[in-house]
Amino acid sequence: MPINAEHAGRRYPATKPYLVTSARIAEFAAAIGDDNPAYTGEEPIAPPTFSTLIAAQAWGALFDDPELEISLHRTMHADQRFRITRSLRTGDLVSATATIEKVRIRGNTEMITVDVALTGADGEDLGSAISQLIHNRQAS
Amino acid sequence: MGFQLPPITIPITRTTVVRYAGASTDFNPIHYSDHAARELGFEQVVAHGMLTMAAALRVVTDWVGDPDEVSEYFVRFINPVLVPDDAMGARLEVSGTVTAVDDKRVTISIEATCAGQKILGAAKAVVRRSNG
Repeated sequence: MPINAEHAGRRYPATKPYLVTSARIAEFAAAIGDDNPAYTGEEPIAPPTFSTLIAAQAWGALFDDPELEISLHRTMHADQRFRITRSLRTGDLVSATATIEKVRIRGNTEMITVDVALTGADGEDLGSAISQLIHNRQAS
Repeated sequence: MGFQLPPITIPITRTTVVRYAGASTDFNPIHYSDHAARELGFEQVVAHGMLTMAAALRVVTDWVGDPDEVSEYFVRFINPVLVPDDAMGARLEVSGTVTAVDDKRVTISIEATCAGQKILGAAKAVVRRSNG
């Protein structure tokens, strides 16, 4: 049975740790058109939404979960929240753990709330990225 | 209260979305292929919601200076940013208003429009007050 309310609470294994580098931070800052000096220089910090890169890897687990039958190409992003305990910086090794928080179904539309917890190498809480995704199931 | 942050205008062209796709590794084809966008019912390529979200936050971080002060950021994606395949692209107009202040933090409500349409809903950022 495709994704439904009973999948709420399903937690996926943490992603392989993601190494934050100065080069990645600089690329991301350039891509969002932000020249804030905090993102370059000797000890750059990552822009507040940088963790989306890491969170997106964690979402992969949902799309790869055969039981849910959801496809990235039929998925839209409805809302997004970041909770930031401290900025990510060069050298951080960050793991992301996705949990399905809530599922609501309306016709062919599935609204899925996914909480991705970000954790440092020593277990430090690095905040979380909470997304509501809308999946349009193709009428069969 | 009610203090207005200096507004900003952000150009988003096809180059911008392709560049963001690379930097974010979000290669959903609706962000670079008109064909894929039309299959999902859009007139043309739409910008990544996360690009819009990231770019809009600059209205706050330009004002506070240090992006490390941002402790929370929320947006609802209410309308897509359509990105024409021309030199102008889309233009995102972003403004911010201080809605709450206490000893520890400042809450800023963010408005973002493109071609007269609201793009983000209920958008707000919370920044820490480092020096009271």
